[in-house]
Amino acid sequence: MVIDEATFKEFRIVGKVLTDHRYNTSHSGNISIRSGGKILIKRRGAMLGFLEPEDIIETELNQQDSGIMLSSTETEVHRQIYLQTDAMAVIHAHNPFCVILSLVEDEITCLDAEGCYLYKKIPVIEVENPAGPADAAKEVPKVLKNYPIVVVRTHGVFAKGNSLIDALQNVTGAEQSAMLRYYTLLLGKPLKRDLSKEKHFSEW
Amino acid sequence: MFSMNNSILKINLSKEEIMIEELEDEILNQYLGGRGLGVRILCDNLKKGADPLAPENIMIFTIGPLTSTVVPTSGRFSLVTKSPLTNTIMHSNSGGFWGTIFKRCGFDALYITGKLKGEPGYLLIDGPNVEIKDGKDLWGLTTEKAVEKVREIEGKCQVLVIGPAGENLVRIASVMNQGHRAFGRGGVGAVMGSKKLKAIVVKNGTKKFPARDADHIKQLNIVAFDKIKVFPVTSQALPLFGTAVMMKVINTFGMLPINNNQKGYSRLIDSVSGEKLREDFLEDDEGCVSCPIRCGRLTNTGEMKGKGPEFESLWALGPQCGIFDLKEITHANYLCNSYGLDTISTGNTIACAMELQQRNLLKDSSLKFGKAQILCDFIKKIAYKEDLGEELAEGSLRFSRKYKGTQYAMQIKGMELPAYDPRGAMGQALNFATSNRGACHLTGYLIGMELLGVPKLIDRFSLAKSDQLALRQNQSAVEDSLVVCKFVGFALGFDFQVRFLQAITGRDDITISQLIEIGERIYTLERLFNIREGFLRKDDTLPERFLKEPLREGPSKGRVVPLDRLLEDYYHVRQWNEKGIPKEELLTKLNLIRLK
Repeated sequence: MVIDEATFKEFRIVGKVLTDHRYNTSHSGNISIRSGGKILIKRRGAMLGFLEPEDIIETELNQQDSGIMLSSTETEVHRQIYLQTDAMAVIHAHNPFCVILSLVEDEITCLDAEGCYLYKKIPVIEVENPAGPADAAKEVPKVLKNYPIVVVRTHGVFAKGNSLIDALQNVTGAEQSAMLRYYTLLLGKPLKRDLSKEKHFSEW
Repeated sequence: MFSMNNSILKINLSKEEIMIEELEDEILNQYLGGRGLGVRILCDNLKKGADPLAPENIMIFTIGPLTSTVVPTSGRFSLVTKSPLTNTIMHSNSGGFWGTIFKRCGFDALYITGKLKGEPGYLLIDGPNVEIKDGKDLWGLTTEKAVEKVREIEGKCQVLVIGPAGENLVRIASVMNQGHRAFGRGGVGAVMGSKKLKAIVVKNGTKKFPARDADHIKQLNIVAFDKIKVFPVTSQALPLFGTAVMMKVINTFGMLPINNNQKGYSRLIDSVSGEKLREDFLEDDEGCVSCPIRCGRLTNTGEMKGKGPEFESLWALGPQCGIFDLKEITHANYLCNSYGLDTISTGNTIACAMELQQRNLLKDSSLKFGKAQILCDFIKKIAYKEDLGEELAEGSLRFSRKYKGTQYAMQIKGMELPAYDPRGAMGQALNFATSNRGACHLTGYLIGMELLGVPKLIDRFSLAKSDQLALRQNQSAVEDSLVVCKFVGFALGFDFQVRFLQAITGRDDITISQLIEIGERIYTLERLFNIREGFLRKDDTLPERFLKEPLREGPSKGRVVPLDRLLEDYYHVRQWNEKGIPKEELLTKLNLIRLK
């Protein structure tokens, strides 16, 4: 309701991509941008794949306000990411391959060239209550200070970006790398070339 | 039933007679407690056409199987009577501590009829001992002063009390509980005033109500408290801003009634928001028994201290009257609490007078939208029935009738509308029209789904709402009978209430379907009461404004309510005939008979 047409178009495209790629269920996941000292975020209960202007809620950046009656349950995680990092947009999704690998690994090391170029490795963190926003709001921003995306074990990813489209690239890119790693590990064969063993990778 | 006392305390004030009657399990199994139990007792005992302000009317205070247990937000209790504002059945519930202490005194229901013959009195329930005491020194006092005086006499106790408005039989008077909590709606304070009963005092309740299945309840509470903690509405919005958090939310949807529902959206909203209340006046929060949410507000304006305002009060005494001065509204709210007035009906009735003045039907130049300085003066006049206050004390419908402007009374079945313009949410509109106690937002509260996305978001303008509403109304009747707070439903689904009831009573055989059928029985019995009193389809309506006048600006612009279509579906779902009368097969299913 407070959103201009072009900005809303971006929300709708990103929401639809996340749903079409099955990164979320019909109702899960949330996306936001910071704008004019406020956060514009998906409404709680709205479907990402079918957003309407009324589904974008405005809430304060620096403090809680009545927007939390309507905004996504994970608004506080988004708020803390904005307050503690350089994020201009945030996406939370339940990327299946990232979640699967988070169950068995402490970080997801990229094996493909694009993943290595963009991320090298994707950190995995564990919080006491992965379904609620309180613990994630404390831990996720710490990691996103240095990384574009983080996986919360058993739950999903939080990605930041310069824009929603940029954050979307991080979500889809990380998932692509996780998927390639998953299938490679399934093959059970030694790698002909392991980029993670090459120069500067381990310090990343 | 486990967790109940199987006991009714019956008081006949005319005869100064106190009796204790056994309450059969069969009734509790069919009606649970709380609202359901009160409705059943009223329907069994009140004669057709009884004058609500005559001695024959009955007030029934009830607790439920979850009251006074460890279940979150279970510190609530109910009141059922016949309303002097609407002539319908009236049910209401309130929080705080009174219900818990009453249950611990060993009773499930307090049945009061008759009228004290001599001086006014108050009722003392001291553990199992009950006494009608002289209350002439309390009569005439404001609610705070009366409670203070009672506590000087009785020591530590919980007090239900009426103010001058109830004493003066103002049809929009409330029964106050713990300062700002209230059985607010429908003029129940006038019923108590008509009985010359100033207060009902409980103390020294010592019975305990442990769960039958202690391990189960412990596990449930871990999950429940976790959900309440995780969900932002119950963990942040309500604790931080109180119910006033809804001001900006409802305005966002263009549904905040302004100037007697002539508008639905204002750019001045920040001056009367929950955030502003917190910033300017909040001293502390307050919660009920077993409640982690703590939505109550203890406030201080620098000139006065008190409790509230809650969302509905803030709106009714504020934007509905065109007033956006938070300090004046807060003072007006304190006064309503002191005099024992329903803030929703008071604000709406003043707003109605303002519109009558705007349209030259009423000649009183002091009554103008936005004129904050007149608010406290008119509230006092209503409570003491002075000047125009005597007419306003009758509520908006009777008042507007006198000035030939009933279309400007924002009421249904005589009770004034709460803070949601029906044109912005079709399910809530239907809920208002069909609520058994007049314009009530709580009996189905589709706002949860239509605006807030709990439990799930549905399109607010969709007309396919009848089944959903009937289900929510039935569930709500169950919640009011257990008795638990509506707010916990934001975080916990209805299935939680079933699990809690199973664990508390040990009745593992109780299912969701059985409870919903109990809710349907309660709702239908209330309907039968109203039908006996002459209410039919013509009364299931909305003020003309919502049917014909679209809102001119804001996010609900251009909308009206197609009520006939909504009602047709709803009657079909409810198994009521075209006149709104429940069909025979429904009554057979619910084990009900028509009232005579």
